[in-house]
Amino acid sequence: MISKRLKQSLRSELRTSLMAKIGLVLILLILIVAMFAPFLAPHHPTETRVSDDPEVDKTDLPPIGMGYETSETRLVDGEMQTVETTIEPDHSFILGTNTLGQDILSRLMYGARVSVLVGVLGALLATAIGVPYGLTAGYFGDRIDDSLMRGADMMLAFPSLVLAIALVGVFRDTDFHTQQIPDPFVLAARHDTLGSFVPRGEHVAAMPASITFPVTVTLVVALVNWVWFARVARGEAMAIRQEEYVKAAKSVGASNATIIRQHVLPNSLTPVIVLATIQVAAIILLESALSYLGFSETTLTWGYDIQQGQSAAATYWWIAFMPGMAIVIAVISINLLGDWLRDALDPSIEGEGGV
Amino acid sequence: MGLGKFLIKRTIQGVIVIWGVVTITFFLRFLTPGDPVSALTPPDAGPEVRERMAENLGLNDPIHIQYADYITDLLMLDLGTSMRTGRSASIMILARLPATLELALAATIISMIIAIPLGVISARRRHQKSDYAATMFSLLGISTPNFWLGIMLIILVAVVVGPIPTGGRDVSFWEATVMLFLEANPRGFGNWAIHIFLPAITLGTYFTALLTRLTRSGMLEELGKTYVEATRAKGLPETLVLYKHVLRNTLIPIITVLGLQLGTLIGGAVITEEVFSWPGIGSFLIQQIAYRDWVLIQGILIVIGVGFVVINIIVDAMYAKLNPKVVTE
Amino acid sequence: MVREAGTDETRRSFLKFAGAATATAVVAGCLGEDDDEDDTPATDDDEDGTPAADEDVDIDEVTVTQGSVTDTLDPIDHNDTPTWNILDQAYEPLVYRDRDGELISLVATEFERTDDLVVELELRDDVVFHNGEDMTAEDAAFSINRTNDPDQSQQAGVIGAIDEAEAVDDTTVEITLESAEPAIFRNLSAFGRIQQESWVEERDDDELATEINGTGPYELVDFEEGSHVDYERFDDYWGDEPAVVEARFDGTGDDGARVASLQGGDSDIITDVAVEQISEIQGDDDVRIEGEPSIRCLFLVMPNNDGPFDSHEFRQAMNYAVDVDSIIESLLNGFGEPTSQPTLEGMFGYNPDVDPYPHDPEEAESLVAESGYEDEEITIVTPTGRYLADTDIAAQCASDIDSLDNVSASHDEWETQELFDVTDTGTMEDSPDIFLIGWGNPTFDGAYAMNPWFMEGPFWHFESEEMEDLLTQAADEPDEDAREDLLMQANELAHDEAAWVFLNQQYSIYGASEDIAWEARNDEDILLKEIFAAE
Repeated sequence: MISKRLKQSLRSELRTSLMAKIGLVLILLILIVAMFAPFLAPHHPTETRVSDDPEVDKTDLPPIGMGYETSETRLVDGEMQTVETTIEPDHSFILGTNTLGQDILSRLMYGARVSVLVGVLGALLATAIGVPYGLTAGYFGDRIDDSLMRGADMMLAFPSLVLAIALVGVFRDTDFHTQQIPDPFVLAARHDTLGSFVPRGEHVAAMPASITFPVTVTLVVALVNWVWFARVARGEAMAIRQEEYVKAAKSVGASNATIIRQHVLPNSLTPVIVLATIQVAAIILLESALSYLGFSETTLTWGYDIQQGQSAAATYWWIAFMPGMAIVIAVISINLLGDWLRDALDPSIEGEGGV
Repeated sequence: MGLGKFLIKRTIQGVIVIWGVVTITFFLRFLTPGDPVSALTPPDAGPEVRERMAENLGLNDPIHIQYADYITDLLMLDLGTSMRTGRSASIMILARLPATLELALAATIISMIIAIPLGVISARRRHQKSDYAATMFSLLGISTPNFWLGIMLIILVAVVVGPIPTGGRDVSFWEATVMLFLEANPRGFGNWAIHIFLPAITLGTYFTALLTRLTRSGMLEELGKTYVEATRAKGLPETLVLYKHVLRNTLIPIITVLGLQLGTLIGGAVITEEVFSWPGIGSFLIQQIAYRDWVLIQGILIVIGVGFVVINIIVDAMYAKLNPKVVTE
Repeated sequence: MVREAGTDETRRSFLKFAGAATATAVVAGCLGEDDDEDDTPATDDDEDGTPAADEDVDIDEVTVTQGSVTDTLDPIDHNDTPTWNILDQAYEPLVYRDRDGELISLVATEFERTDDLVVELELRDDVVFHNGEDMTAEDAAFSINRTNDPDQSQQAGVIGAIDEAEAVDDTTVEITLESAEPAIFRNLSAFGRIQQESWVEERDDDELATEINGTGPYELVDFEEGSHVDYERFDDYWGDEPAVVEARFDGTGDDGARVASLQGGDSDIITDVAVEQISEIQGDDDVRIEGEPSIRCLFLVMPNNDGPFDSHEFRQAMNYAVDVDSIIESLLNGFGEPTSQPTLEGMFGYNPDVDPYPHDPEEAESLVAESGYEDEEITIVTPTGRYLADTDIAAQCASDIDSLDNVSASHDEWETQELFDVTDTGTMEDSPDIFLIGWGNPTFDGAYAMNPWFMEGPFWHFESEEMEDLLTQAADEPDEDAREDLLMQANELAHDEAAWVFLNQQYSIYGASEDIAWEARNDEDILLKEIFAAE
C-alpha cells in the first residue's frame, strides 16, 4: 500500500520533474473538462448548422485566427461555378466547425468523456480480471502457474488491435453494445425550477440529456489487456510467497485465500497501480482506433471525429487535426504521469501500448 | 544445453502456443451470440437452409469431432472455404500476405535507421538539448495514434511536396525487382518506394520512438561500465567506442524487446493499411469483419497468430546466438 | 460449372437452398453497363471543357482509380458498380444502352419479341473469346442461364422473369419468359455477360474468380487481389480497336488519396470526388472535373410494418421535416437535385406534376401530433462512404427531425455491407426502422425504381394494396402509353403516401486527366473504349 516513504518519494519526484507536473496538470484539466462538459462546452456537441442560407450556414469554419482565401466550386443551374472566397472564422467557434457545422471544441469536450470512461473502466476491468488470475498463478506456482500463464500468453500471440477487432466483430451482434448514461448535471438543470442551483442553468439544460457509453468496446479493451496485469501480479506473488511472514502465516494455519488477500494482494498493489496508469493511455489509443474504424457504435468520440474529418482533410485540415491533438495530449499526459509513478516507485514493468 | 537443444525446446513451446492460438480461434465462433450456425450462414438464410448448412458444415456433430476436423484441415493448410465467395480461404489470405510483410519490414528498417543513431546521440549528450529533443520525440511517438499520423502526413506531404500518390501499392517489391533485373527498368522501384514511403513511416513511428528509448537507456547503462573507460583509455576514437563496443552490447536487450513488440507492429499495420488502402492482410481483416465472413476472419487470425509465434522463435534464436548465456539458463 | 449440392458451402449454395434470388449488393450497384454504339468520342461541347478527342492516337496506359477493387472477377458473383466498371472492359452483355438510355445492339445485332413469352436475339458471327475460340449461340444461352441460376448467381433476382435461354441455331438465342417482362431487353443490357461454356465448366471457384475469358475489347493481364486489375487491348476484338493500349483499375478508399493520385499523375480517371475538393481539381491545369447527374437517387426507407412508420401522417411529417435544399446547397455544394418521387426526371413513368415536399417544420410537428406517435425516438441508419456525403446527409436528416419538438432522432453508421445484408432479406422486420439508401436505375424505367421496393421480393419495404395493384397492372400492360400512365400514378401515390423520405438525386463526380478525352456518363459506367487521346 501507499506508505509514508512512498508518499515522500512521489513528492520529491514531482518536485524535481517538470514533466511530471505538466502531466499531472493536464490530466486534472482533462478530468475536469470531461466531468463538467455541459458547463464548459460552448455549444451543443451534435447540433448541426447546415442551411441553404449562407448567413445561417456554419459548416467548415476554420479555427480562430486561421481565416484563409480559397476557391469553392458550386453547381448553379447545372453549371459549375468556381468563386474565390475568403473563409473567415467565427469567434463563437474557437476550434472551428466540421462539415455539418458542429462545434469542434464542444465535441472534443464530450469526446473526452468517452475516452476517460472507457480508459478508466477498461483498465479497472482488466485489473479485476488480471490481478486475481496472476496472483493465483504466482502464489501456487508450479503446475498451476504453468498452465495458467501458458493460457494467458496465448492471448499475447495476437496483436491487441487485431484481437480487439475480432472481439468487437464477435460481440457487436449482442444487445448490450451501448448504454445511455443520463447526465446528472443536465437533469439537475432541467429540474432546477428556481434556476439558481445549477450555474449556467439554461445553457446546461439545453445540452444532451445522456451520453452514449460503448459497453462492447470497454469489455473488449479489458479482455485484450488483462494479460499484462496477470503477468505483473504473478511476478509479485512469486516474490512475496518466499517471504518469511507469508511462510509464518501459513504455518499458523491461515488459509490460502486469507494469505492472498491479506499479504500478497496489498504488496502487489504498487506495480499494479503503475501499470494501470500506463494502460489507461494504451486503452485510450485502442479505443480511438476502434472508433476510427467505426466499431464503437458511438459518434461522440475522438476517433470517430478523425474518421469523419478524413475525407475532407485535404481542404479542412482542422476537422481531423483537432481530435488527434486531443488524443495525443491525453495520452502524453497519462504517460508522463506513468513515468513519474514508475520513477518514484521504481518497479520494472512491461506493457503493450500504442496503436 | 547446446544451441540446437535450446532451439528444439523453444520450438516445442512454440508449437504448444500455436495450438493454443488455433484453439482460441476455434472457440471464438462459439462466443458469437446465438448458435454457431448463425455465425457461419448468411443472415438471410431460412430455417431449412440453416439446417442443411449446419449438417454440411458438421455443426451438428459433437464439439470434439468438429474440433478434430478443424485441426485436421489446418494441418493440411486448409483454412476452409470463404462463406461469401466460395473460394479457398488459404489462397485468398496468402495473396494478401506479401503486402503486409513488405510494409512491416520497410517500417522496421526505417525505424532502425532513425532510432539507433538518435538513441546513441541522446545517450551521449545526456541532459543536453539534443537529448531532451530525442526524449520528447520518443514520447510523442508512443503517444500518437498512427492512423491520425498517417492522415496528417498525407496533408503535410501534399502541402510541402505537392500531390504525390498516397494510396495503394501499385507494384510489389517482387515485381519491382523483376522489372529492374530482367527489364533493366528502375521505374518499378521508384514507384514501389513512393508508395511504401508514407505508410512505412506511419507504421514505424511507434517503433522508432520505442527503439530510441531503448537504445538510449541501454547505452546509458553500458556507458557506466568499466570496460568503456578501458577502451577509451586505449585511445580508440569515441565514435568507434560508441558504435562498435557499447552499441553492440546494447543491441542484445533491444532485439528481445523488439521481438515482443512485433505484435504492436502487426496491429499497427492493420490500421495503417486501412488509412493508405494498402492491400495487405490488415485491411483484408477489416473488410471481412464487415462481411462477417467468419471463415476468413478465423483464417486471418490464425495466420497472424502463428506468424507472430514463429517470428518470436526466430528472435529467440538470434538472441541465443548473440548471448549464449541464455541457452544455459 | 459442375457443382454437387452440399459439397460446397458457400453463399451460392445457400442461394441454391434458399431458391431465392437475393442479390446482396443490388443496392450498391444495380448498375449495368452500357456503351455508346456510335462511339462518338467526347466532343468539345461541354462547358467544363472536356478536351476534343484525337481518335488516331493510341494511349499507352490509362489508370482508373475507384473507391475499391473487386475481390472476384466472376461476372455473376457480385452486383456493385465498381466491380461492374472493372468487368465491363472484358465481359460484354448481348445488348447495351446509349448515353440517353436507348437500347442499342452489341453482340446481338437484332432483338425482338416473337411471342408473348418468347424473345429472340440474333448474334454476330465474328465474336471471339480471349482464348481465341469462337463464340457460339450456346455460349450466349449458357451465360444467360448461368446468370439466371439462383444457385450460383447474385443477379438471378434482377435479370428478370426468365425461364430458360436456348440456342436455336448457330447465331440465334431464344429466351422463354415466365411473365411478359416488358423490360427484358433493358435487363439484358445490364446482366448476362457472355462467357464460354466449356471454359467455365473446366474451372473451379478460385479460378473463375481470378481469371477472365470474355469477348470484350480488353483481356486480363494481371489481377492482384485488393490492389489492381491490369488489362491490355485484345487484338481479335470484333469491334473497332480502342485507343487505350493498356489499362489498370485500382482502388483507394480515401477521397483525398484519390485526388492526390490523379494530381500526382498516378491515375487518369478517379471516381467519387468529394465536393470540397472539386475546386482543387478545377484549379489544376492538368486535370478536370467530369460531372453528370446520375441515375441514382438517395432516400430514407421507412418500412411501414411497424410504428411509428405505419402512420401515413408520420411518414409525411418526416418529409416536411428534412430540409433537402439545405442539404444540397451546404453539404453537396449544389451538386444534387431534390426529388419528389421514386422515378427520376427523364425516366419512363416520371410524373412532372408532383413537386418535392417543402421544408415545413410546423406542418411536420402538427402531422406528428395527428399521427398519435409523439415523442418517438428514431435512429437513421446509414451506410458509410457508399454515396456522396452519405453519412453527413443522414446526420443532417436526423438533426432536422430532431429539431421538431415532438420527435427525437439520431443517426447510426453501419458498414455498407452490414446494412445491405439485412435490407435484402424480403422481411421488413430485419431492416432498421429507418435507413438511408441510394438506388440506381440503369433501365431508365419507373418499374425498376418502384417494383423492388413496393412489391414482395428481397427489397420489399412498403406494403400498400393500391400500390401493388398499380404496379401489377403496369407489369402486364403491353400498351406503352397506358403503362406510362400507370407508372405516373404509382409515382404520385408513392409521393402522397410518403413511402420514403425523398432526398436528392446524386451527382457522379469524376476527376480526369487533361491528357484524355473522356466524358462521364449518367449511369456511372466507365468504358475504356470511350477514352481517347486529347488533341
